[in-house]
Amino acid sequence: MTVVALRLAGPLQAWGSRSRFVRRETEKAPTKSGVIGMVAAAKGIRRTDPLEELADLRFGVRIDQPGQLLRDFQTAQRPKKEKDGTTSWSSLPLSQRYYVSDAVFLAVLEGERRLVEDIDEAVRSPEFPLYLGRRSCPPAGPVALGVFDSGLEEALATLPWMAGTRRQQRHRANTVRLTTVRDAHPDETDGELVQDIPVSFDPNRRQYAWRTITRGTVEIDNPHGTAEKAEEHDPMASLGG
Amino acid sequence: MSRTMIDIHVLQTVPPSNLNRDDTESPKTAVYGGVRRSRVSSQAWKRATRVDFESHLDSSELGTRTKRVVEWLAEEITAQAPELESRATELATETIKAVGIEVKAPEKETSPQSGYLLFLSRRQIQNLAGAAIEAAETDDVRKALKEAKVKDLADREHSVDIALFGRMVADQADINVDAAAQVAHAISVHPVETEFDYYTAVDDRNQDHETGAGMIGTVEFNSSTLYRYATIDVNRLADNLGDTTAVRRAVEAFLESFVRSMPSGKQNTFANRTLPEAVVVLARDSQPINLVGAFENPVREPVHSGRVKRAADALLEEAQEIERAYGEQPIDSWVTRVGEDTASLDELGSNVSLTEMVTQLGELVGTRAEERS
Repeated sequence: MTVVALRLAGPLQAWGSRSRFVRRETEKAPTKSGVIGMVAAAKGIRRTDPLEELADLRFGVRIDQPGQLLRDFQTAQRPKKEKDGTTSWSSLPLSQRYYVSDAVFLAVLEGERRLVEDIDEAVRSPEFPLYLGRRSCPPAGPVALGVFDSGLEEALATLPWMAGTRRQQRHRANTVRLTTVRDAHPDETDGELVQDIPVSFDPNRRQYAWRTITRGTVEIDNPHGTAEKAEEHDPMASLGG
Repeated sequence: MSRTMIDIHVLQTVPPSNLNRDDTESPKTAVYGGVRRSRVSSQAWKRATRVDFESHLDSSELGTRTKRVVEWLAEEITAQAPELESRATELATETIKAVGIEVKAPEKETSPQSGYLLFLSRRQIQNLAGAAIEAAETDDVRKALKEAKVKDLADREHSVDIALFGRMVADQADINVDAAAQVAHAISVHPVETEFDYYTAVDDRNQDHETGAGMIGTVEFNSSTLYRYATIDVNRLADNLGDTTAVRRAVEAFLESFVRSMPSGKQNTFANRTLPEAVVVLARDSQPINLVGAFENPVREPVHSGRVKRAADALLEEAQEIERAYGEQPIDSWVTRVGEDTASLDELGSNVSLTEMVTQLGELVGTRAEERS
């Protein structure tokens, strides 16, 4: 199998799966619909174009740096021309937008070699500029990590830890345990259902289908780990027992 | 197909200020690199940029956001064909309906209004009026409007601000416009703590011995050196505007207004109006690149001048590292800057004034847009 890996990092990201009206939420990890949408934008696919090929890719993310939830309170106003020619502003409904700040994610898409190579190339030279879930969230630094000859699970378990250098230094331990969220296999029955497969981004009738996800953890080397190998804790030893 | 992306990077120091506050009146913040930063939302700076457009662009190049679209169109119909004055409102109503927008007559108004704010350019209104006048000569106005494809007329020749910032029409999504400009939230390059200014106000007419304060309160503020980033996708802009000259004017106006504008929050309290220490513009042909990673490791320097110098050095290093690691070389680049602290940035492009930068960028965009069309 072949996978394409993406690094999603920036001061702010927003991966909504249930946003309605004035409350715009975010998940704690990138959604499949969000990442497929970003890839589609990179390939220059229009909102009304078919998406099956991309939606059929297997998808998984690893939370390399969880970040923090941020609530942004937004006001909007509309201009009104007064009779004397001046412009006055009146308020529109207030809205709450949620973001994940200071996070780093590894996103992996698994599929046919030709398709994943196309995606890698598109992300390096995107037709529409990329953003992390919301247009005001451009990625920090390049997104493409390349194409790898491995399966989805293997990529999530082996690609290096992408967190910031300072965070890796502060972690100290030689390994780090990271959370993963990925598409479940058909035989995995204990998954969680989320409405997160993009069927159509057509703004007149957006549609999302359900997918089953599986959460797990993987243990990754910390390149900046400084800890000595921990000895087994034996409190009785100091008592001479 | 050749692409053109314009990346704008700005370093700007603001004194104690509260440019953009949340519902508790605190300046907005975000955590980045594990530390709290001052933040100014992208919406706030886009609004400031749009307001600033009015001093660089003619009103005919700017869009108007209104519910009174029928009234506006009727005026245009009357202006183009005075003999139709008596039918203007009816024709305008039919035309707007043909675009797919519902209109209804409010109780006290004479002209029907759309149910929500519509953002249209003057050219679009002129084109719609033209179609309405032609339709007026036929027996079946509705059919004629349908044949004239008025919906397409509302989806072409957008104003400069719609082309840059987009348009969303809730129940007619196919005439939405995807924004060609992307503006990131500005964040400080260093950690900030929100500070409180305790104030008292004296009652001028209270002459008693125990005067005390007429009023007390606190204002929250912080001061910061912000990294601001925006990018324009010139090809998208050309699709939205459909005219090479307009593309050039839009890019020039955006650069000028984005650099010079300042959100108006608490401006009268803090008089925090500043201009950037440094503006770096990189024109690219592969992908836009946000250099905010330069500040993930926060700049830590208590002295103000040291802060700007370190921020400039970090920005330079990030730009060079990305060029080295990913071979991402800009096709052209310019730097406008103030003082010795930002001197290192000259390595990123030719040092010019903002006026020259705007002109030279306009020339580049004009040439590349010509080649593409």
